[in-house]
Amino acid sequence: MSTELERIFVSHLKTNQNIIHKICRLYVSGDDAHKDLFQEITIQLWNAFPKFRGDSKFSTWAYRVALNTAITLYRKSKRSIQTIGYEKQEFFINHEDYNYEEEEQLKLLYKAVYQLNDIEKALVFMYLEDKDYTEISATLGISEVNARVKMNRIKGKLKKILNP
Amino acid sequence: MMMEELDLLKKNWHKDSHLQNMFSEEDIYAMLQKKSSSVVKWIFYISLFEFGLGIVASFLLSLTKANDEGTKLLKKIGLYEFNLVLNVVIYSVVLFFIYRFYKMYSRINSEKNVKDLINSILKTRKVVKQYIAFNLTTLAIIIVFFGSYGISESYSIIASKNGELHSEMPIHLLLLGVLILILIATFITVIAWFIYKLLYGILLKRLNRNYDELKKLDF
Repeated sequence: MSTELERIFVSHLKTNQNIIHKICRLYVSGDDAHKDLFQEITIQLWNAFPKFRGDSKFSTWAYRVALNTAITLYRKSKRSIQTIGYEKQEFFINHEDYNYEEEEQLKLLYKAVYQLNDIEKALVFMYLEDKDYTEISATLGISEVNARVKMNRIKGKLKKILNP
Repeated sequence: MMMEELDLLKKNWHKDSHLQNMFSEEDIYAMLQKKSSSVVKWIFYISLFEFGLGIVASFLLSLTKANDEGTKLLKKIGLYEFNLVLNVVIYSVVLFFIYRFYKMYSRINSEKNVKDLINSILKTRKVVKQYIAFNLTTLAIIIVFFGSYGISESYSIIASKNGELHSEMPIHLLLLGVLILILIATFITVIAWFIYKLLYGILLKRLNRNYDELKKLDF
């Protein structure tokens, strides 16, 4: 039987799962690996849930635990070690305003981001999520200035990967 | 003109709310029933195994006949009390390690910032590493200490059987024996430590890499 806490948690997670999917997409490739990481994040979130006070938004609290899981706690299982395939990126594309050139560019962009290291991916994720540098530095445990510097370097790195 | 790379991604980032593999509540419930396979869990079990191995080894050693004879020998040469004290010290140190491990382990919290989380995991592992180093050192000392005693004893027994007048082992032979024992003990310790570091390195490779990356950022 599920408890009240479990019900609250599951409902929160269901509503906010988008953010977890986004993290999974940056860190692993392939459906199995995606589900595997999602599951591990879910377990970690559930373990930490009793400490969730509710004074921050569930999504704000959850993405930190999720990033920690992806960067630190997750142990890639053998079946999840794959190279990125093109099929996977189809799934990022918004088909409503289909733009061939932009879609090609996006594919390459995702491929480039996938080549970054775990920490760089976290920075990119938070940048895309519109987190400010105070938040980024607090999440990673580095100074704000260095987070900013690193973000600029990542942009440069991506440019290099895309235009060699 | 090409758009700033990440901004193109950002533009699309918020749009894709129509994800294909959204999980239902049932899916999430099913996930909650699954066991975590996180690296912390692995580290915990491996550490418990290492602590257990050390304790079982000491316990088995105290059960063997060799130890009975050892007790007799120790009494004979007046080191029995010393050995008792040594045992108390060893077990206290082991308990201290376990306490430290427990304290470090309980600090691992997935809500911490990334750097602190990795740091707390690495520190926890470090306690176990020190424990292994302590065990190997103790083992090496025991090999040298009891080995030397065994050598000189056997020499005396053989010498008196052969009817030699001075059954005491000549000092230079004894020193040679001790030297060989030290070499053997060092060899065993170094090999064991090398293998251990290798396994340890594999286990913590990703954590170390990410921790180094974060440290590098804050120079």
